[in-house]
Amino acid sequence: MSAKTRVPTAINGGPYGQAWSAKADCLQSITGLILGVFLLFHMHFEASILLGKETFFHMVQFLEGSMFSSTDHGFPIVTKIISVIMLVIVAIHAATALRRFPTQLGQWRAMRGFMSSIKHKDTQLWFWQMITGFLLFFLVSAHLATMILNPEIGPHLSAERVYHDNAWLLYVVFLPIVLFHGIVGLYRVILKWGVSSNRPLIRTIAHVLIVYLLCLGTLSLVTYINIGMELVLPVQPFIPN
Amino acid sequence: MSRQISFNIFRYDPQDGQDKPKMERYQLTETPGMTVFIALNQLREQQDPSLQFDFVCRAGICGSCAMVINGFPTLACRTLTANYPDGEITLMPLPGFELIGDLSVNTGKFMRELAERLKLWLHPKADDHDMHRLENPMAPEEAARIYELERCVECGVCVSACATKQMRETFVGAVGMMKIARFEMDSRDARTADDFYHVIGNQDGVFGCMTLLGCQDNCPKDLPHMQQIAYLRRKMAATIL
Ligand code: HEM
Ligand code: SF4
Ligand code: FES
Repeated sequence: MSAKTRVPTAINGGPYGQAWSAKADCLQSITGLILGVFLLFHMHFEASILLGKETFFHMVQFLEGSMFSSTDHGFPIVTKIISVIMLVIVAIHAATALRRFPTQLGQWRAMRGFMSSIKHKDTQLWFWQMITGFLLFFLVSAHLATMILNPEIGPHLSAERVYHDNAWLLYVVFLPIVLFHGIVGLYRVILKWGVSSNRPLIRTIAHVLIVYLLCLGTLSLVTYINIGMELVLPVQPFIPN
Repeated sequence: MSRQISFNIFRYDPQDGQDKPKMERYQLTETPGMTVFIALNQLREQQDPSLQFDFVCRAGICGSCAMVINGFPTLACRTLTANYPDGEITLMPLPGFELIGDLSVNTGKFMRELAERLKLWLHPKADDHDMHRLENPMAPEEAARIYELERCVECGVCVSACATKQMRETFVGAVGMMKIARFEMDSRDARTADDFYHVIGNQDGVFGCMTLLGCQDNCPKDLPHMQQIAYLRRKMAATIL
């Protein structure tokens, strides 16, 4: 006998199995995971300014591939290329995550109505993840556009951008939003695929990470602003000893 | 201990064209060990015979008495009034189901449609149709795993606690996926992962789940929704690899 279950019903006209659904779900999680892990590394690289201009300078040169260069300097084009790749990843992520957005007014109302009548923490978390995801759409674009058009990074050049070009305004908003979205996203990805089912532990780690990275990011930003204030215009690139 | 407690109860009779949804307030004297279910019966006997709500077993077995109690969907017969120190209890019908009247909703109709849509019964293997043949023994571990999911009382709490379900009418919801998982792990069932993919391998099935975990956090039977849905997600995603 056939145990096939592909029978249309009134609720759902079928055919049901859509390979696309599985692919979109995997893509969303994989891109989310890449972005989240990238965020963790990015925050630490950028925080190396806390160890001094010298450290930051060498780290940037190293990440820009200075070991392949005859001089001590890396290639800013590396930053440009990575930024383009990240933009593509963000585009895929946003496109697949868009499936989740309440696209109709009715869905939005249902979501809000639900949240006003039923108290549930993780649903609220998702709601804010969706809102921050929407905002990131603009913030990430702005951030990556700078890095693609103007990829020079260094203790002075970055500080100039942050302070004199007012990029700090962007970062002050960007930092908490991307941290919340990214870390809550990682929490969700882990539970969603059952990587671990120790939810209290994952939640605690997520909390600690958000607070820690928020402090780290704020300290780094303040450091760039301080360096920026001390720079005399026109800004000269930093020269290591 | 005999304090006065207050109930704010949703009242609406959809059969009556003149009626409008409203909240009504009742007071009664708490007795030791009083559950919301006992209180509701007392209110109906002594104050308002028109009050509609469901119950059968009063012991958390039949799943009839689910409602939203102070923002948490749960079973009225297993909720002590003593849990609410301020003595204020608000009762709403489970959202997402057809309203019969006041606190009574038609979960039965929903569960039946769901079972028909997802074919939630055992599909025996081809060689297993001789009813005179002795059944193959089942490993105790497998029986225990199946029993764990069989504990579902079809109360509908997980459906009401799910914002995804509220946003998307056609989403199967946790109870449907729990039952699919139950047959998926049953060695007597002929259906393969591919067959199940046709039923839940889409946006209305496991890939529509946003891991909000309202099901997991509210199920009065503490069923392992998070693990089971993650398991199905992996299983279903693997069918397209
Ligand atoms: C550019 C605009 C972005 C949009 C519109 C967006 C949107 C979303 C939405 C709505 C979700 C929830 C999806 C769900 O519940 O299944 C989500 C999940 C996620 N996002 Fe984003 N996001 C963006 C950027 C980012 C960035 C920059 C990061 C990394 C820091 C990130 C990391 C994640 C992760 C890890 C998840 C969990 C994926 C999953 O649940 O499968 N997102 N994103
Ligand atoms: S899975 Fe739990 S919450 Fe859902 S219907 Fe069954 S017993 Fe109720
Ligand atoms: S009356 Fe049966 S579960 Fe509450």
